[in-house]
Parts: sequence; structure tokens; C-alpha cells
Amino acid sequence: MKPVVKDVNILGLANTIKDWLHARTGARFGLLTSIDGKQLVTLVLDPKASAAECWISEVSDNTYKTLTTLIPQSHWFERSIYDLFGIVPDQHPRLKHILLHDEYEPTFHPLNWQEMGKVGDKTDNRKKTPILSETLSQEKFVSTGAKREYKFLQVRGEGIYELPVGPIHAGVIEPGHFRFNCFGETILNLEIRLGYTHRGVEKRLTEIHWRKASFVAEAASTDTACANALAHAIAIESLFDLEIPAVAQALRTVALEIERLAMHIIDVGGLCGDIGFSAGAAAAGCLRGKALRMGQMLTGSRFMRGFILPGGVRKFAHQHIASMQKNMQDLRKELDELFELLAENQAARERAEKIGVISKSLAEEFGVVGVTARACGISYDCRQHFPHGLYPKIAPPIALQKGGDILARTRVRIAEIRRSTDVIESVLQSITGSEHIIKLSNDLPANQTGLAVVEAFRGELIHLLFTDGKGAIKRYAIKDPSFNNWTAISIAIRNNLIADFPLCNKSLALSYSGNDL
Amino acid sequence: MAIFEWISFVAVVFILPPLVLGVLCKTKARLQNRIGASIFQPYFDLYKLFSKGETVSEVTSWIFRNAAAINFAVVIVVALLVPWLTFKPAFVGADLILVIYMFALTRFFTVLAALDAGSAFSGFGASREVTMAMLVEPAVIFCFASLACVARTSDLSVIFSCDNFSLSHNNALWLMAGLGLFLSSLVELSRMPVDDPTTHLELTMVHEAMILENSGPNLALVLFTHYLKMCILWGIAAQCFLRSISYFWTVGPLIQGALSLGALFCMGVIVAIIEGTLVKLRWTKLPQFIAFAVAMGLFCVLIAVMRG
Repeated sequence: MKPVVKDVNILGLANTIKDWLHARTGARFGLLTSIDGKQLVTLVLDPKASAAECWISEVSDNTYKTLTTLIPQSHWFERSIYDLFGIVPDQHPRLKHILLHDEYEPTFHPLNWQEMGKVGDKTDNRKKTPILSETLSQEKFVSTGAKREYKFLQVRGEGIYELPVGPIHAGVIEPGHFRFNCFGETILNLEIRLGYTHRGVEKRLTEIHWRKASFVAEAASTDTACANALAHAIAIESLFDLEIPAVAQALRTVALEIERLAMHIIDVGGLCGDIGFSAGAAAAGCLRGKALRMGQMLTGSRFMRGFILPGGVRKFAHQHIASMQKNMQDLRKELDELFELLAENQAARERAEKIGVISKSLAEEFGVVGVTARACGISYDCRQHFPHGLYPKIAPPIALQKGGDILARTRVRIAEIRRSTDVIESVLQSITGSEHIIKLSNDLPANQTGLAVVEAFRGELIHLLFTDGKGAIKRYAIKDPSFNNWTAISIAIRNNLIADFPLCNKSLALSYSGNDL
Repeated sequence: MAIFEWISFVAVVFILPPLVLGVLCKTKARLQNRIGASIFQPYFDLYKLFSKGETVSEVTSWIFRNAAAINFAVVIVVALLVPWLTFKPAFVGADLILVIYMFALTRFFTVLAALDAGSAFSGFGASREVTMAMLVEPAVIFCFASLACVARTSDLSVIFSCDNFSLSHNNALWLMAGLGLFLSSLVELSRMPVDDPTTHLELTMVHEAMILENSGPNLALVLFTHYLKMCILWGIAAQCFLRSISYFWTVGPLIQGALSLGALFCMGVIVAIIEGTLVKLRWTKLPQFIAFAVAMGLFCVLIAVMRG
């Protein structure tokens, strides 16, 4: 998909965005970033028309009036731009560092290439060290003084205490710090601090040749490897004008759905584990293994890494289709048993009902996506709107719930598991032909913009790339669904019990590495 | 004969508790279609912890260092006092109030040690533990007191003595007391559905949250004390259940001993089944669960009052 690229004035950008979104039903604010620190890039999506617009707004003096006050969804985007590019959103209500921690120099902005000359020049990019913007006026960059400093929101009052959790957790999970302000057993406020897994994925993607890049792109969040590889492939392909073979499209769809299936199953199993329902957790762990085994049959890798490439998919052996179909039938039967077990369990339902509620209006304001959004009644599923794989042609109906609580999210997940099995079965039947990849030219078209919007199992995943005059990628932006949804957990857990937080957290199933990149 | 009983009892006190937990864990694993660790795994775990070094926070005082030892000593004394297996060494009389509050003493030191460590988790763990203890105390007192009422003595060794036939035909009373004590033991021991002992989620923990700061031999001592406490509480509940079966009163001491031992492992298996099928209750629903235990206690009181 190629977005329409336009120049838009930075003055009144927030109002321009709001007007554009109001004029179209179901339109969404996609992402906010910059290319090299001289401009803001706004991506707005119109799912109904399956169209996107990319607005470039020149920034002067490294500052602009914040969009957050009018478009709350942009609050983390602006914080990440502040960290990566050093562009200061003026009057941002809570401007803090988000990705770069206190150890970095205050003037370190890894994606700010202003004084680097040409970007994307393969040969000397490796030698380049990111600029420390000495020549740029320092006080504009650093609002907190010479050293980076992170201040948590303070809640004061009699009987209120602070509970720090993480960044290292007890389970084998990713790092992230949670700061709870509690009154007795009730959580008054939760502030999340991430950035512990910031690896510079976006920057790395501009440094290496695009043919090698899909392995970096799929490592953006490895449990979403398939969706990331697919988004990367589509973003690259959108620069060319070509048709991907039907077999490749079908196999991509199957791979994407296997990933969704496996991850949704283990998320449901995780919920069982967190409420101490060990039978459900054990069964789900086993079934996830079976789902991943299908990934292995399809691609040779349980997490399907290195399968989806720009131009198609890697080689695939037809004889595995029959065994995959057999596996799918078994899996479907066993899944039904698990869901029946869960549906019958009144106590499990009690643990999930009316807990961790996110209202539809807040979900809309903060641009929540994926299962979480659909559990609030927001009918948005990229598979219905944006081309990826065989979608939107064979997109299954959207699984919707209204409650916005843990129960609603679990129900959406279970419905999506069922629909994924349907999609996999029907697509597997239809695969004929053998052309699985087409050759792409080694050089990307110059001065182009590529875009991919993919429904990963967590929700809307966006890859946006810009090529420079020589055809090298000068900016590669990834918007993981978790980036929208991390705010949702702070909203969901407010005024709930401390002991319900792990369950609520699990029901949102967020990625740390996808957020930190 | 007395010396033989002493030796075997002391051996049981040190050998049995990890084995009961091992059987429990194995049953749980089998229920989930897992092979599970060997039933001797708790011994290996304890051995591992005893041979490890210990990390102690600089901000802690002597309480944190010694609470585990104090609790261990107290629970050993309780183990020698109460009739949780039929063969109990001759010892001073065990007043039921004394036993209940010796357990309370161990809780007191556990909570103190948790607060001493100063971590946020142990703080709310201690708060939760004390809240639950407060709620469950009436259930235990009601059960014991009604038995004492009918037996006309507060000495546990007399109440549970198999020669005491004033209690031999009170099957309903024994059953209710057994149920009440068993349900309260789930609360006291932080087992499901009150607390999930296998969880790694600090925010949901009750008992585990309090001992997060313990490590090495100190932790091993805490764990062993907990296992022993588990055996004692389930042992007493099992004794009540056994006495509700008329057959138990008619057999000789050797068979009674074998039955008590079997009943103890049965309790472990029952708890495993409960833990495999039940869901952990929400914190605000806990009083409702504890109310069941208290209700059983009240039934006991009712039966005891009707008996006069």
C-alpha cells in the first residue's frame, strides 16, 4: 500500500488531523514520527477506503506545540520523538523520557541525522556515530537539566504507599517497571516505565541492506515475528509495482493465522495460570505447542522465522499440507474441549467479570487496538480493510464484545482462535501452484514512501519507510500494537485490586520489546 | 515401648512433612497430564537450600535472622504436643488454647520478619496474612471448643485419646469439626483457593510474599516449618475425619496408626485435587470462603450444645 504523501503546515497540525478524522467514519490516527529530526511525519488511516495519508510537516527550532492536548493518542509518540530526535513538544502535559534511560547523554538523539550528511549511504553508515547535537541549543533539548532524570508521578495522602515492581520480574518475561500508588489493596495510579529493551531496531533497519532487513524486522518483537516479517515485506513491495504470486499470499495468510492461533491460545492459558486454574493452563500450553508445530511443518521454524520475505515466501514443501490439515482437525477438537472447560467454570468467570474495565470512549481517545479495542466494542480489524496476504478478501467477521473487561477480552480471543482455525483450514484447501516468490530488483526506487498495515495478533502493526535519492532506506518506522495499548493498562487497573493486576496485565498481553524497539 | 514410640515419632516429624508435599505435587502433576517431579523432590530442594549461601539485606535486624529458627522451634513443640498421628509420645497435656496460640506465635514472628525486611511485597503480604488469620480464628476455636465441651476437658490429648469413649458416637460432630479444621487449614497454610502456592506473581501472593527476602538455609528452615505445620493441621483434621467413622474406634492401635498415616497422605491428595480443579478466589471473595469454615465451626457448637 502506498500512502498519499502531502506537506502540511505544522501550525494547527492537531486541528488538521482532528478535522480529517472527523470527516471520515472510522478514520484513525496511525502514527507520529519524524524522518531525520527536521520534520514531523503524521500517518492517518482511513480503513473504510483502505487508504492512508502521510503528512510531512517541517519543524523549526526543534519545537512545536504539542498535539497531545487535542489528540491524547499521540502522548507516547511525542515522548518517543523527544527521545529519538530531540524535537520538543511544547506544553506536553507529561513530557518524560520513554525509551532512553538515565545513562545516556542528555543530548543523545540516535535518530537525529541533521548533521550527518546523507543518510542511508550503506558504505559509511556503520562508521557513523549518532550526533550529539552540540551545535544545537542545549536548553531546548533538555528540559530537566544537564542529566537525564525520570520522575514518577507522586500520589500523597495518609495511608497511601508506593509499590515498585520490576524491571526484573519473577517469571520468564521481558523487563518493565511498574510503579503503583496504592491505598490499602486498591490501586490509585499506575505508571509504567519501559525502554529496558531498546535496541535501536529502527535505526539498524536503515543501516543494513534491505535484503537482509527482514531478519531484523521480525526480531522487533519475536512472538510477532510473522506479522513483522509480513509488514516488512509489504512495505518493501509497495515501493515496486508488482503482483505477489497467489500461493505466496495464501501461505502468508496461513502463517499469520498460525501465529495468531498459537499466541492467543497461550494468552488464554496464561489467564488460566494466573487465576490458579492449572488444568486449563496445562492444556493450553500443550495446545500452543501443537499450533507451533504447524508453524514448523509450514516453515521449518516453530516461530516461523525467515519464512516471509519481500517478494513472496521461502520455499515450501506441498506434501506437508495434508499433515497440517490433520493436525488442524485434532487441534480444533481439543480446543473445543478446553473452551468448554473454561465456559463451565463459574469461578473463573467471576475472576474476570467487571474487572479491568476500559471504557469505549477512553479506548477511542487513546487509539487502543486489537483484542483490547474489540472487547470495548470498537469494530476495527485491519484484516477487514488493509491488503495483506489474502485479506481483505477472505477476512473473517470481527469478534466483538461490549464489556471492556477481562472476560470480554478473553471471549474475543477465544472467538478469534475459532475464526483463525476456520481461515487456516479453508486456505490450506485452496493452495495450488508452486510459484512462491518473485525476484525483486536489488535497488529500491528513490524518494518513495512504503507502508504496510497488518493485523498482528496484538492488533494493528504499522511499518512505514522512506527511501532517499539513491534508493536506500533513510527512515524505517515501526508502530507495534503494544505502543497504543500500554496506556490502556494504566486505565484498566485504576481503582482495581492489587491482586488483580497480573490477571489484567495478562488479558492485555502486551509486548515490551515491540514497544521499546 | 515408650522409647520406640519416641524414636519413631521424632523420625516421622523430620521425614514425613516433605513427603506429604511430594505426594501432593506429584498428584497435581498427574492431574494435569504431566509426569511431575519425584515425590522426594522436596527433600532435594531442602538439601539444595541448606547447602546454599544466604543473602541478608543490610537493613534487617536480629528478628529477620532468627524468626525462622524461632518458628521452627515453636512448631516442633506443637508437633510433639498435638495428636496429629495416633502414636503420640507421652508428653505434658496439650491445652487447645495453647496450641492455637502457639501457631499464632509463629505467625507473629513471620509477620515481624516480613516487616523487618522492609520490601513492599512483604508489607502487603503481612497485611493480608493478618487479615485472613483474624477471620479464620473463630472457625478453629469453635471446632476445638465444641469437642472440648463434649469431652469436658480442654486437653487435646484427652479429647483425641481413643480410650475416651464419651466422644465415640459423635460421628456428626467429628465430621463437622474435621471439615471446619480442614477448610481453615487451607487458609492458614495459604493453599488454594485462598492463595496459589505455585504462583510467581508477587502481587497476588499472601504467604509467599512475606518470605520473598529469605534465602538459603533460612528459607529452607521457613519451608520445612511450613511443611511441618501443614502435616500437623491436616493431621488433626484427618484425625477428626477418622473418628467420625465408627470402625476406627474398634481396631487396635497399630491399625489406627496405619490409618492415620494413610489419612494424612489422603489429605495431601485431596488438596491436590482441590488445587487442580479450583480457581483462586478474588481477594474480596475470601471472607465468603472463610465463612464456610466458620459455619462448620458453628455446626459443631450447635451439636455440642444439643448434646449438653
